[in-house]
This record gives sequence, structure tokens and C-alpha cells, in this order.
Amino acid sequence: MEPVLEINDLSTHIQLSRSVVQAVGNISMSIAPGETLGLVGESGCGKSMTGLSIMRLLPNGGKVVGGSIKLSGVELTKLSDADIRDVRGNEVAMIFQDSLTSLNPTMNIGRQIAEQVRKHRHVSRAEALERAAEALSIVGFPNSKERLDNFPHQLSGGQRQRVMIAIALSCDPKLLIADEPTTALDVTIQAQILGLLDDLKQRLGMAVLLVTHDMGVVAGRADRVNVMYAGRIVESAPTTELFTHMHHPYTQALLGSIPLLTQNRSERLFSIPGIPPDLTDPPPGCRFAPRCSRATDQCRTEEPALEPATNDHHFACWHPVDGPIVRTTIAVNGTAPAPAGAGEAEHSDAAPGAPETVAARNGSAAEPAFGARGWQSGEGDDRLLVVDDVVREYPVTSGVILQRKVASVKAVSGVSFTVGRGETFGLVGESGCGKTTLGKVIVGLEKADKGQVALRGTNVTGLRDRQLRRFRKDLQMMFQDPIASLDPRMRVGAILREPMKIQGIGTKRQQDKVIADLLGEVGLPANAVERFPHEFSGGQRQRIGLARALTLNPQVIVADEPVSALDVSIRSQVLNLMKRLQETHGITYIVISHDLAVVKFLADRIGVMYLGKLVEMGTGEDIYLRPVHHYTAGLIATVPEPDPMREKSKSEVGIKGELPSPVTPPSGCRFRTRCPAAQQICAEEEPPFRPFHPGHVAACHFPLQQPIDGGDPLAAQAGTAPTIAGS
Amino acid sequence: MTAYLIRRLVTSLIVILGIALVTFLMTHIIAPSPGRAILGDRASRAAVNAFDNAHGYDRPVWVQFGSYLWQLVHGNLGYSYKLNQTVDSLIAENAPHSMWLSGISVFLSIVIAIPLGIFQAVKRNSVADQAITAAAFTAYSMPQNFLGILLIGFLAIQWHLFPAEASQSERIIPYIFAFHSNFLPIATLTITAVAGYSRYMRSAGLDALAQDYIRLARAKGLTEPTVLRRHLLRNAILPMVTLIGLSIPLLLAGNLVVEYLYNSHGLGLLFINELGNEDFPTVIALTLLGGIATVVGNFVADVALTVADPRIRIN
Ligand SMILES: Nc1ncnc2c1ncn2[C@@H]1O[C@H](COP(=O)(O)OP(=O)(O)OP(=O)(O)O)[C@@H](O)[C@H]1O
Ligand code: SF4
Ligand code: SF4
Ligand SMILES: [Mg+2]
Repeated sequence: MEPVLEINDLSTHIQLSRSVVQAVGNISMSIAPGETLGLVGESGCGKSMTGLSIMRLLPNGGKVVGGSIKLSGVELTKLSDADIRDVRGNEVAMIFQDSLTSLNPTMNIGRQIAEQVRKHRHVSRAEALERAAEALSIVGFPNSKERLDNFPHQLSGGQRQRVMIAIALSCDPKLLIADEPTTALDVTIQAQILGLLDDLKQRLGMAVLLVTHDMGVVAGRADRVNVMYAGRIVESAPTTELFTHMHHPYTQALLGSIPLLTQNRSERLFSIPGIPPDLTDPPPGCRFAPRCSRATDQCRTEEPALEPATNDHHFACWHPVDGPIVRTTIAVNGTAPAPAGAGEAEHSDAAPGAPETVAARNGSAAEPAFGARGWQSGEGDDRLLVVDDVVREYPVTSGVILQRKVASVKAVSGVSFTVGRGETFGLVGESGCGKTTLGKVIVGLEKADKGQVALRGTNVTGLRDRQLRRFRKDLQMMFQDPIASLDPRMRVGAILREPMKIQGIGTKRQQDKVIADLLGEVGLPANAVERFPHEFSGGQRQRIGLARALTLNPQVIVADEPVSALDVSIRSQVLNLMKRLQETHGITYIVISHDLAVVKFLADRIGVMYLGKLVEMGTGEDIYLRPVHHYTAGLIATVPEPDPMREKSKSEVGIKGELPSPVTPPSGCRFRTRCPAAQQICAEEEPPFRPFHPGHVAACHFPLQQPIDGGDPLAAQAGTAPTIAGS
Repeated sequence: MTAYLIRRLVTSLIVILGIALVTFLMTHIIAPSPGRAILGDRASRAAVNAFDNAHGYDRPVWVQFGSYLWQLVHGNLGYSYKLNQTVDSLIAENAPHSMWLSGISVFLSIVIAIPLGIFQAVKRNSVADQAITAAAFTAYSMPQNFLGILLIGFLAIQWHLFPAEASQSERIIPYIFAFHSNFLPIATLTITAVAGYSRYMRSAGLDALAQDYIRLARAKGLTEPTVLRRHLLRNAILPMVTLIGLSIPLLLAGNLVVEYLYNSHGLGLLFINELGNEDFPTVIALTLLGGIATVVGNFVADVALTVADPRIRIN
């Protein structure tokens, strides 16, 4: 069959004022009708520029400098500007990552779809609107006619993404370029959107170029995968082959650095040292050579070409590997990857003398990593931090003259848990479920409307001024966005000194020493004190954030999405670092993330949150292998795992519908509006917490496992006692 | 939306009340006894007291404020003893000239600045953009009277293109049509405003250009003019609406300078003259009027924004 898209030796450069970014370098690929080609790689590797080159929508200064792009045999690079406009939206459509600005906020969605139809289909306004309504119903809008008048701000993120897809398919394109289509969405919505794309592809016979940084997404959705690194395609293979028999060391390392749900968390993550090269001045020879553990002199001088290994498996490497890095995984239906003799895992950030495995922290490496923490009753330190029935609501006001409180956003509604010293407690849930708010309440950045947070038996929420400041020192927060959370006008030295200054700790010389030690510990050069945050990469900035959280030697660090802003290879460096610092400093972490795999890798115990409430709590294994609550089970089913076999065996949409408004949460079980097993009682009575395994509790009327008979939930979880308020 | 607008209206009224209180206190502090001011220094104490008593100036301050407000509500802004005329009639004579001058200048500045700013945003960092930026900075940082003097120096004295004085017509219709005579005052006000607005428009345009919906609009295959007209313009103008409302006080200040400089009939000139005359009732009434104009300007801008932005309109 003739390919829909055929790219040959394409190079795209972007002219800056003083330099040229070689964004895409000599890439070739083709997509057959009805095929989904995944294009994966870390940020900045040229994925989006490839898509934009096809559309000729490159940013200012961007230009295709060589090669050819053929769409059904027609050379796109030779078309006039007017002709390429007839292709855009008509034969090739593109959808982008949803952001609030992906649709024009001042135009209703009907017109936004119809304008494309009118441009390409010379139909009347009424006919175009009719087509728009049709497209909306195809992407899953009921009452699509009435929806035409909606403005983007009236829609949720998932709905806006559906509108964007409706625009894309309104003219029956041959090729759909989806650039990070679900990156901004929650996993449950992501699964719905990806399912929709798959379905549409089949129904309309489009070819799809799926651009993403998420290996889990391509594993389940792509027929073939191209891996990009620093502007080059380094490996191209059918999806399963790529995941199980990769030949390029970068593909191997990339997959090896992703924390898996099946991960044995006592094992360090593989991590790739360094950062991707600057594309204004790429290294000669293999572009991965500076970070590759197999690199030889040949690699550094001579660039390997993309050569076929078999008919449909190509790679560019002088010293190929064969298959994935060996990792020990917990047994799940026998899908653990087979050992493949490529275990030269290099721990870039291992400080000399640092213990190599996390298990060592537990006193003995032989001790199982799971459930072995001392949070059960009986140990002295098992109640370092007690969160007791914390409620936080934000008022919603309205009124003509005087602002009256008319309702409230129930951000956190009665959450209780206990964390022991040196333990890591993970909080996982969709955006808007109240994780961040809860984290802020714990460190005292937000006040609790009800309930308390106690550190070493002292209620921190009741403290004021001096005393509070003393406790603040022991409760530090680390934020998601390392750029926004570091003052751009302060040098790193000043940033690290600030907390000590506020607390009045140490002389200047002592402070200098603490700063120097910390920088060494987080793997930053000593001269970093002289530099500003913007002079660092994202991963380095997150290290600065970690160092700042550590300056006061706190007992508890609340890390809110600590690695979400980072690329996979950098992410594993920071995750390893966080674990290592925990060992050396004996810190207690509360890790907040929407990413279940990250939480599972870091946390001894996990609390699953839904709409302001904890619904289930247990060890990573409890949550992953024996989920009890329907929300937990649905969440696990929707998390894309970088394992094609598991992904393809997953049933379609995991959790239906969208998150209800936190202003008027559903009565009874808050999950009931989306739960497949909901019954009458779920609407009437709030399910109590029941134990299902020692330390494993969940709140569900019709649980997926048998509760421990007659077990008293309060006793079974050793005083963690989530006393749920009756309201 | 209605609730929001009503709330804005009420707060506006409260602010106006506050301004009235301030101007009332100013009057009271400057001339606690109007009898003395009117009857002159040589009048006897008893005569002054009798006058104050007859006109209620010896009542408690709050009562006086109440009657002041009562007068205001009935459109009675006071009496200029210096000009022997009600302030109302002074305003009626002068306001149309000022309003025309400001109105036409604001209109011209918007009409010029919006396309200019968008052009600069689209052609960012081109030679044209940089030249316009340089010109705008120069005009914006120049004191308005200096700009006016420059214009008079070159266009009026040197090249005799336009008269150095605005139309002296006291009637408004001839004044409006005296485009040639009023060219320089209008140009002076417009140039300063264009300099400010175009800078703002350029940055609003750059912001809007960077939004994802512009890229999506291009990905639909729309032509560049359509993308700019349909998707960029409206979004880039929204922040301008507020800016124009906020710039009313500046405009009023500009009128002071320009009317004085070109000796044009108007409230600004009246204000400056009466300030020199120590005609406090007039000066204070004009101050009050300026305050009210500012509040009304902001209110109108808010209403306009509410109507133009669906995110506020539909909630
Ligand atoms: N300052 C605030 N004022 C009003 N509502 C707020 C405020 N902060 C948070 N909320 C609301 O509280 C709820 C929980 O917010 P929170 O940020 O804690 O959720 P989250 O799970 O951390 O979300 P995300 O993953 O998107 O960061 C949301 O509905 C949010 O809109
Ligand atoms: S060519 Fe050499 S440096 Fe490049 S990936 Fe292969 S082994 Fe590593
Ligand atoms: S309580 Fe009912 S609605 Fe809630 S998860 Fe259990 S079965 Fe579903
Ligand atoms: Mg959050």
C-alpha cells in the first residue's frame, strides 16, 4: 500500500539571532493508511518540529533546509504558501496539547469548527455548522447542536480536547498529527481521549502520527515507534519489538529509567548521566556518545547511520545492545521482562560511599522492601506525623453588593493518616482531588478549617508565630515547578541561605559550610552558589529545590509533584537522589503526585485520594496488586505502562465520565457517579474504612476484595484511625 | 453578569461619594466661612456671621455635607464669586470643547494604535518595528508641553502649516469643524496617547500571538489575514479596553497642558485660569468633575470588557 506520509532525509533548522538550532536532522519515516506511528523522545529532541515541518507551521526563523515530505505522493515542501494552506486542516490535521488557550476564548466552538469546514469545503454557513455539530457528536458530545454556542471556558480540559479533535476530523484528513494530545490531562481522561483517537482512526481510516514523551502512551496505541534523540531518529521498530528487543542504547536507557508499576522499589532506577546536547552545537559523531556507557572513539568521531537490522527494525548505533536492562520486578502474570545481558546500569548520581540499594536502609538487604517499614504499632517512631481529620474548604462567594459565602470548594474533606519516622507516604490522585491543598496544610502554608496536623505529638495547626516558626523548620515543602518556586533574582547561594537566615541559624561561615555540603550532596558544582536559577537545567533546578528543602535539616519534606516537570532520564536521577538523601538524612517524605508509578517507586505506603477524600490506603503492593476500591482499580487500569503486552491486553476506557465539581460533591461515596459497581446505598451512606490486609484499608460498600472478617478497622491500622466525619 | 455590573455600579457610586466628601472637606478647610470670602476683608464680623447664618454655613459639618450632596445631585456645583457666574454655566460653556478635543484624540489614538501595535507584534524585531518603538519611546517619555512646543515651533512658526492657537470659537459647532486650527492640539494629545497605546497593543499582540489558538487557526488552513482578524485582534484588544478606561485621568491632565498651551477654550484652561484667580469654588468643582470622569471611565471600560469577553459575560 502506498504510504500516506513519506519523509525522506528531512532537516529543519531554526535561525536564532546568533546561532542555528538543528532541530531535526536527516530523518526519514513513513506512515501507511490506518497506521499509528509513535514518535517519542525527551523534550527538545525535535518531535514537535517534525510535525510542524509537515504542516509548514514552524516558529519564526524555522525552515525546512533539506529533504522531502510526500503526502500521498505529493511533495509538500515544494507547494506554494496558498497550496499548503489547502492541505492544512484538510488533508493533514494537527491537534496540540490541551491548554486553556488551545481554543480561541472569544469565539464559540461551533464557529471554531465551522470556519475550517468553510475554508475547505465551500459550503454555506448553515451547512458548515451542521457539519460542526456532526463532528462534535462523533467525538462524544451528546446534544451537540446545543453545544455549538458554548465557549471554551465552559468546557473541561477533556472536552476542549474533544473539540480540538472534532476540528481536526471535520474535513476527513488523511493524516492526523497528534502532538502530546493527552499530556495535560488526567490519566482517566487521557484513556478516554486515546480510546477516542484509536476508534476514529479505525472508523475514518486515517494515518496517525502520535507525538509524545510518554512511553506508556505509545506502548498501548502505536503500531510502530520511532525514537528520537537530539534531532535524529535513533531507532525505529514495531512497538512490541522496540520494547522487547531494542538495539539502541538510548532506547534501552530511556525505558530503563522509567519507574514501573511492577518495579521492585528496593532497586535503584537506571539513570542516564548528563543532559541532552545543545542542538545549536551538536557533538560530532553519535549524538548520544557523551551520555552513552558504550561509547568508543569511533562513536565520538563517526556518526552511525540508521541501518536496518531486520526489514522493519532500524537503528543507528555502532555497538548495539540487545533487549532491555534487566530489572527485578514484582511478579504480575509473568510479564517481567526477560534478562537480556545488558545490565551495565550506571548510577550517575551515586555519591561515593552511598549505599547502593534502598533496602539497606531497612537494616538488612535481605529484608523485603514492601510492608517492612516500621509504621505498625509497637515502634516508637511510628507516629512522627499525624494528620487527623483535616478539612480545608475554599469559600465561593457571590452577591450583588456584599460578598456572601454561598458555597465552598471542598478541597480536603476529612483526611487522616499517620506517617512514621523515615517512612515515605505517597498521596496519589487526579488533579483537583486536593493533594496539593493537603500538602500545604501539612507544612502550614494553608490553615485547616477542621482537624489537626501533629508533629511529634504537638498540634502544629494550633501554633502561632515563634513556635510555629520552630516547627516550620521541621516541615519543608518542595514544589513541582522548579522555575516558579525559585526567586529568579537571587543567586543559588542566597536561596539556600535564606531559610537559615529566617530561622537565625548559624554564623555566616557555618551557613557557608552547610550550603557547600548540600550542593555536593545533591550533585551540583560548588560554584553554583554564584549562579542564578535560570542558568540551570530543569533537573538541576529541582536539585536546588531539594537542597533548599534540606537546609534546615527538616524531619518531614512534603514533595509536591517533585519530578512531574522533568524528562524521563532526568526524572530518574532526581528520584534516585531523593531516595539516597532519605537514607543519609533519615527524612520522612510525603510525596504527592498524579503519577502512580512515581509514588509507588518512592513510597512505603500510598493513600489514594478522590475528590477531597482518602479512599484507600496501603502498601504499593496492596494498591497495585490487590486494589479494593473501584477508583483505585480503575486508576491502575488507565495508567499507561511502558509495556505493549500489558497495554494491549487492557480493556478500553478505565473510568468513565469526569470528576464532579468539588463544590457539590456526590452524596455518600463520592466516586459513585463514575463507579461501575455503584448501588443505591452508595448514594445514601458514606462507606466506612475497613481493613483488607494488615494495614490495607479502603472505604467501599462493595469492595473488590473480602474485608478481614470482624476486623476492627481502627485496630488493624494501628491508630491511623481515619475517623471520617459523619457529614 | 448583571449582578457583577450592579456591584460595579454601586462601588462606583461609593467612590464618587468619597470624592465628593474630599472636595467638600477641601472647600471647608480653604474657606470655613464663605461669608468672609464673599463679603471681603472689610465687612464687619456681624455681617459675616449674618451671611453665614442666612446661608446655613454655621450648621454642623455633616449637615452641610448633606446639603452639599443635595446640591450636587441637583446639578448645582456651586457659584464662582470671582466670575459672578454659577459653576454649572461655566462648565456648560467649556465642557463641550474639552470633550471634543479628548474624544477625537482618543478615537484617533485607538484607530492608529491598534493596527500599529498589531503590525509591530507580527513584524516583531523588524526594522519597522524597531523604528516605531524608538519613536514611541521618544514621544512617550517627552513632557507633553515640550512636545507641544516642538510642534508649534516646526509646524506653526517654521513652516506655517497650522496656526499655533486653537480655534477661539466659543460655540461648539464651529469649534468642531475648525480642523485646521485645532490640528496641533489634537495632534499633541493623539501622539502621546498613540505612543502609550501602541506599546501596550504590541505587547498584547505578542501575548496573543504566542497563544496556542493562533497556531491552531493556522493549522486549520486559514489565511494569515483571517487568522489575525478573527483570532488575534479581538483577544489582543480586550486588555486595551481596560487600559483606555484607566487612561482617562491622564487624558484630563493632558487637556490641562494642551488647552493652556494652545489657548483653547475648555475646562482645562478654565481650571488653570481660576487656579491663578484663587477661584476655589470653580477649581474644586472641576476637581470633583475630574474625579467623577475617572470613575465613570473605569466603569464604562468594565462594562465594555464584560460585553466583549465571553469569559466574563457567560459565567
Ligand atoms: N486558593 C484556592 N481558591 C479556591 N479554590 C482552590 C484554591 N486552591 C485550590 N482550590 C481548589 O481546590 C481543589 C483541590 O485543589 P488542589 O490544588 O489541592 O488539587 P490537586 O490535586 O493538587 O490538583 P493538581 O494535580 O491539578 O495540582 C480544586 O478544586 C481547586 O480548584
Ligand atoms: S553509536 Fe556509540 S555512542 Fe552512540 S549509542 Fe551506539 S554505542 Fe552509544
Ligand atoms: S462505595 Fe459504592 S460507589 Fe463507592 S466505590 Fe464502592 S461500590 Fe463504588
Ligand atoms: Mg496539585
